[in-house]
Amino acid sequence: MKGQIALGLLALLTLIGVMVAVTLNEQNRMAEFTRAYEARAIETGASLFEDNCRPCHGPQGQGIEGVAPAINAADLFDGSRLAKIGYGGTLPDYVRGVIAAGRPVPSVGTNYPQRMPTWGAAYGGPLRDDQVDALAAFVLNWEDRALGGAGPQVPTGPSVGTDLTVSLPPGDAERGQSLSEGPLGCASCHILTAVGPKWAAEGGEPGIGERAESRFQAAGYTGTATSAEQYLFESIVLPNAHLIEGFQANLMPQNYAERLSAQDAADLIAYMLSLR
Amino acid sequence: MAIFRLHIPVLDEVKRKGLRAALNDKWVDVVTRVTAGLNPTDVRGVLRDDPPGRPNSRLTPHAEGFWLHMKPTYYHRMVDGFYPTFRLGWLSTFFGVFEILTGIYLMIYYTPSPLVAYENMLNLLSNVPFGQLMRDLHRLAAELMVIVVVLHMLRTFVTGSYKKPRQFTWATGVILLFVTLVLSFSGYLLPWDQLSLWAVTIGASMVEAIPPEIVGRNVNLLVRGAPEFGANGLLRFYLLHVVALPLAGILAFGVHYYKVIHHGHSLPPEGEKVGEDTAKRVPMDSRVYFMPEIVTRELWYVAGLLAVLFAAAAYLYNAPALEPHANPLITPLHTTAPWYFLWLQGMLKIGDKVIWGLVIPGVLTGLLLLLPYLEVGPSRRYGDRRIGLSLAALFVAAMAILSYMGTPHYAVSTSPDQEAVAELLPQTHPGPLRSAPWGDLAYGSYEAAAWSAAPNATLQDLLHRYEEVLTDVQSAGRADVAGVMVIEDWQTDLKKITLRVTWTNTADGSAGEFSQSVYLHRDGNYGQGA
Repeated sequence: MKGQIALGLLALLTLIGVMVAVTLNEQNRMAEFTRAYEARAIETGASLFEDNCRPCHGPQGQGIEGVAPAINAADLFDGSRLAKIGYGGTLPDYVRGVIAAGRPVPSVGTNYPQRMPTWGAAYGGPLRDDQVDALAAFVLNWEDRALGGAGPQVPTGPSVGTDLTVSLPPGDAERGQSLSEGPLGCASCHILTAVGPKWAAEGGEPGIGERAESRFQAAGYTGTATSAEQYLFESIVLPNAHLIEGFQANLMPQNYAERLSAQDAADLIAYMLSLR
Repeated sequence: MAIFRLHIPVLDEVKRKGLRAALNDKWVDVVTRVTAGLNPTDVRGVLRDDPPGRPNSRLTPHAEGFWLHMKPTYYHRMVDGFYPTFRLGWLSTFFGVFEILTGIYLMIYYTPSPLVAYENMLNLLSNVPFGQLMRDLHRLAAELMVIVVVLHMLRTFVTGSYKKPRQFTWATGVILLFVTLVLSFSGYLLPWDQLSLWAVTIGASMVEAIPPEIVGRNVNLLVRGAPEFGANGLLRFYLLHVVALPLAGILAFGVHYYKVIHHGHSLPPEGEKVGEDTAKRVPMDSRVYFMPEIVTRELWYVAGLLAVLFAAAAYLYNAPALEPHANPLITPLHTTAPWYFLWLQGMLKIGDKVIWGLVIPGVLTGLLLLLPYLEVGPSRRYGDRRIGLSLAALFVAAMAILSYMGTPHYAVSTSPDQEAVAELLPQTHPGPLRSAPWGDLAYGSYEAAAWSAAPNATLQDLLHRYEEVLTDVQSAGRADVAGVMVIEDWQTDLKKITLRVTWTNTADGSAGEFSQSVYLHRDGNYGQGA
């Protein structure tokens, strides 16, 4: 019995010791958990961005001219964009608010005819509050790099223009693919979603390369192309020249003639022709 | 005459006997009242193991006080040792009380709504002092309680203690087992993460199978509050967990313990003649008094267990890390029921949901409940119960096998390519890729087959494991299986890692591909299970 009393007292002292040790470390533990949680919110945000935002804002948030603005950009983080649109709150509030409620009206002086949809569940969108927060955490994590000067990547070189008969250099399909998936953002609407006509073969429908070969000769064709290459070139730089049934005019940005160099256009066309 | 007179009796006493004597008398009085019958000298005597006085004042608290009124004043020496009880009933009670206390702490920070439940959990872990400790303790003790309660039942069967006159005690024990299991199970849902939602969905899907369809559908609606778990289902499970089941448990415990004491702790089978029950007739020389021996032991057990539990929860055991927020649209690969219901999940894999999910478990529960009324053999001796004990051993073995069959290792048909990716990137726990040192994940594109060429040991190890599981993909009618791991710099302190498996289907020569990406932040801290 004496042994039991001694053991009991020893256990009680151990318990007190454990509690003291836990108490001393508790602030650290909570801070550590918070840091890990914030880091994981960024991870979650990255994956939500990939699923929901990439089609319009580009894989790295560099924006797609005429579709959605860059958010991986210095002017967002240095305050000049907020000042320009007259937003008086903080940047995190702005980012969270825009994600949750969308942008029913584009900012004055910008070329983004599509409105940004609402994403927050409170506004009828698909994302919960914690998901909106995670997305905002991911967007805000661009700050360092955006301010470091890595703005939207714009293709260099003189622009190709809208003359269909211009002679293009030999194209590199592989580079065309990376352009379409990267800085030009074609993939957002033509590969990942069906905002524009699908490029890849699907069901009985052949890929864009094969379609291009017959399209310019088909009845009802309203453009001026005389070859598959010209037809694709026309579709890129003059998207309204011939509209595919089911797609509206002006849906596609109208500025690729100024954005693309001759090499870019050749590479893109080579890539598209390879999709059969 | 004063309007009121302040009368403090102790002052009169002080006046009469002097300060010292008056305070001493008061002290004796207070201790005697608090202990319901023991004065300080008696208490000291108990702690020193002095022989009891005559009359034995140590019996008074059992007669006068509430807390000890059901506790026997003495036990039979034959049931005082570790055998035959193994203290399992006592341990079950201890864990039950422990769960109530830690549960109250957790309740303070919890709201049963899908809108905030998960956030509450994050707050509990990030912003509440001892929040994580309490959660770990609550979960650890819950798991132990399930084990202890099951062992308690097994022990009662093995020693034949369910036999006449203790049939009803056994039946209330089965109810307590049921309450314990459902309590533990209903608590699963409350954190409202993916593990919660899907583990409970698997369990609850069984009620949907109750025939005829109209009954199943409506019982399912009652349990989940809607066709799928949502706000109503969470609230129902919460109320079950914190009100209905604890109440049922406390009531059943009261009856159970009353019956145990009423019939006396059953002696070891070899300790009495066949067909006799002598537990209540304890000879004077076989009596072990509650005070001092048993109370001392129980106090030391409480202190010892608390120390062990707290130390384990602080340093060894972590409740499962929070998984992503519950999402009814995404079923994680390899979701399982809680381990104590794996046997049920195993049964469901055998065949028909109605027969294996409802009829057989229902019949088993009924048989368990009625066991002492059906099995009425008079002898409790082990040698006379060979058939019963063998059946019990078979039953335990069957449960173990069924539990194994309930795990994802058995008869789960997922595509091997997904399995290969899940080996590195499991969906139910962090797994090797997330817990690998972040800095070792060097940017680049790596082939699993060329794992030995990877720049560091971490990557080599990961790619080697990848390569090994890919051989399973190879054997499943697929050729030219190749695995690639691409590690990209994605953002400040953020890497994107893509696992891609490609193959050629041997049947028609077509190409197949499966890929999955994960983003890992420098501070994600998956290694510590936080």
